[in-house]
Amino acid sequence: MSFFNGRRSALGVIAMLVLAVFACPAQAARALDTAYGKVEIDGSPERVVTLYEGALDAAVALGTKPVAAVATRGGNSVANYTQARVPGIAIVGTARESNIEAVVAQRPDVILASSNLSEPQYRLLSKIAPTVVPKNAAFGPDAWQNETRLFARALDREDKAAQLIAAFDKRAEQISAQVPADTEATLARWMPQGPLVMSSKIFGGRVLAAAGFETADHDDIADDRPHSDPLSLENLDRIDSDWLFLATLNDDGESALAKARTSPAFERLSVVQRDHVVPVDGQLWTSASGPLAADAILDDIARALGIAARP
Amino acid sequence: MPQRRVGLWLAVLTGVALIVCAASLLFGAGAVGPVASLDTLMRTLSGRVADDNAWFAIESLRAPRTVIGVLVGAALAVAGALLQAVTRNPLAEPGLLGVSGGATFAVAIAIALGADAATLRVPVAQLGALAGCLAVLAASRVRGAGDDPVRLVLAGAVLSGLLYALTSLVLLFDERTADEIRFWVVGSFAGRRPADVIALLPGLAVAALMVIGIARPLAALALGEHVASGLGHRPRLVRLLVVVAVALLVGSATAIAGPIAFIGLVAPFVARALVGPDVRATLWLCLPIGAALTLGADVVSRLVVRPSELPLGVLTALIGAPVLVAVVRSRRLPTL
Repeated sequence: MSFFNGRRSALGVIAMLVLAVFACPAQAARALDTAYGKVEIDGSPERVVTLYEGALDAAVALGTKPVAAVATRGGNSVANYTQARVPGIAIVGTARESNIEAVVAQRPDVILASSNLSEPQYRLLSKIAPTVVPKNAAFGPDAWQNETRLFARALDREDKAAQLIAAFDKRAEQISAQVPADTEATLARWMPQGPLVMSSKIFGGRVLAAAGFETADHDDIADDRPHSDPLSLENLDRIDSDWLFLATLNDDGESALAKARTSPAFERLSVVQRDHVVPVDGQLWTSASGPLAADAILDDIARALGIAARP
Repeated sequence: MPQRRVGLWLAVLTGVALIVCAASLLFGAGAVGPVASLDTLMRTLSGRVADDNAWFAIESLRAPRTVIGVLVGAALAVAGALLQAVTRNPLAEPGLLGVSGGATFAVAIAIALGADAATLRVPVAQLGALAGCLAVLAASRVRGAGDDPVRLVLAGAVLSGLLYALTSLVLLFDERTADEIRFWVVGSFAGRRPADVIALLPGLAVAALMVIGIARPLAALALGEHVASGLGHRPRLVRLLVVVAVALLVGSATAIAGPIAFIGLVAPFVARALVGPDVRATLWLCLPIGAALTLGADVVSRLVVRPSELPLGVLTALIGAPVLVAVVRSRRLPTL
C-alpha cells in the first residue's frame, strides 16, 4: 500500500510538527487589558457586535463587517457618515441602553462596548461573548487612538490600526500647517433651550486641536462632562471665537444654524458677523468617534477653511 | 367683602407686580448686573448714550420674557380661579387636572408631525386644553367625585399621567424632535420672539371678554345651581363658556411657555386668603398675583445656576407643592 509508505508518513509527521511550532503562537488567545480585567480572544472573530459608536467606526475602519450596532444619539439608525458602509446592519439598542435579547440573537463572537458600560451590563454581556470595554474614559488624550488599538487587538488587526492612526496624524499635520497660529475654534451644539459648549476633551474637540486650532477649554464644563449646561442667551458671547462649529444632536447642522439665526443674540456675535460659523453634522462631531469620523471631520475642516482636502 | 378693600389689595398687588417687572428687566444670567442695567435704562430713557450690549440684553432678551411672564402668569391664575369656581373645588388647577397635559400632548404631536411655527402651536395647544378641560368636567360629574376635591384631583392626576405617558410615547417614536419637545415640556420663557407673543393676543383677548361676561353668573353659580337658575342664569351655558375660556387661557400660556404647574393653584389661593371666595373679586386679584408669581419665579430661575438657567417649570413646582400640601392639610377644605 503506497499510502502507508514509511517515508511519506515520516514526512507527514515532520510537516505536522512544523505546523504545530509555527501555528500555535498565532492560534493562542490574545489577552486584552480592558476596564473589567483581562479578556482573552481566539483567532479573528467573525460576528462582531458593536455597542458603541466609536467601536462601530473602528471596526468598519479596520475592515470588518459588524453584524449589529446601536443607534446614534438622536437618530433611529447608525450615524449618517457610516450608514453607506454598513448597509442593513442590525440595530440592537440606543447609545443609552442596549437590548440584551437582540444581542443574543446576533450570536456574536465578540462584543465591543464603550468605556462607560456599567458592570451589571458587562456581566450579562460577557456571558454572551467576550466583551471588550476600553479602560480609559473617552475624554482622555488619545482616547480614540487607544480605543482603536484595543478594538483592533480584539479583531486581530493591529497592523491596520497603526496604519490608520499614522495616516490620520499625517493628514492632520498637513491641515494644521495651513491653519494660522492662534486660531481659536469653539464647538457648540444649538439646543432649543440655548447653546451647549462642547468640551475640548471630547472627540470632536481633539480632532480640532489636532488640525491646528486652539481649543481653549471652558471653565464651566466639569472634567468628566462632555459639554456645559445650556447657556443663557445673555451669555452667548462665550461661544464667540475665531471659528464656530455649530451642530445639533442630529445630523442637520443647517437647521441648527437657521434656528440660531432667528435669535438676535446670536446675530450679534462677532464670529457670526465675520461669517465664520460652520454648520456641522452633530452625529459626526459631537457623538461619534473613531478613525472614520476623524477623517470625516478633517474633511469638514478643510472644506470650511477652503483648503485642499487631501494636501 | 367691601369693594374698597378689594380695590386696595388690587392696588397693592399691582404695585408688587410692577416691582417684579422692574426686577425682571434688571436681573439676568449674563454679565450685565442690576446696577449697570439701571444705569443703561436711565440713560436710554433720558436719551443719553448707553452701553450697547447692556441695552441689547434689556431690550431684546429681558423685555420680551417680562411681557410673556406677565401674560402667562395672569392667564394661568385666572384659568385656575375659573376652574376652581366652576368645579367648586379649591384644588382644581390646570396643571394638576390634565388641562396643561392635554395642551402638551397636542403640541407634542404637532411638533412630531413637523410643525414649528409658534403661530400654529397656539390653536393646537388650545384644542388640546379644551379636550383636557372636558375630560375634567366629565370626571367631576361622576357621582362622588364632584363633591370630593381630593378625588377630583386624583382623577386629574390619572388623566395627567396618561397624557404625559402618551407625550413620552411620541418622543420615543421620533428621536429627532425629542429634544425640542423635551425642552418645551419643562417650561421656559427664554428665547421667545416678539412674533410668538403677538400670536397669543387674539386668544387672550377673546378669553378676557368671556371672563368679563361670565364673572357674575359664575358667582351666582357658587350659591348652587337652583339659586343660579332662579336668578335667570343658565348653569350649563356658564359651565361651557368657562371651559372654553380656560382652554383659551391655558392653551395660549402652554403654547408659548410649556406646561407651567401650580400658578393656577397658588394665585387663586392667595387671592381668596386676602378677599374671600367671591369669584368676582378673586379674578381681579389673580391678574397681578399670577403675573408677580410667575415672573418672580422666572427671575429666580435666571439667577440660581448662572451662567445657565433653571427650567421655570421646576421652580414653580417648588413654590407650588408646599401650597398644595397646605390646602389639602387645612382642617376643612374651603368649599366654593
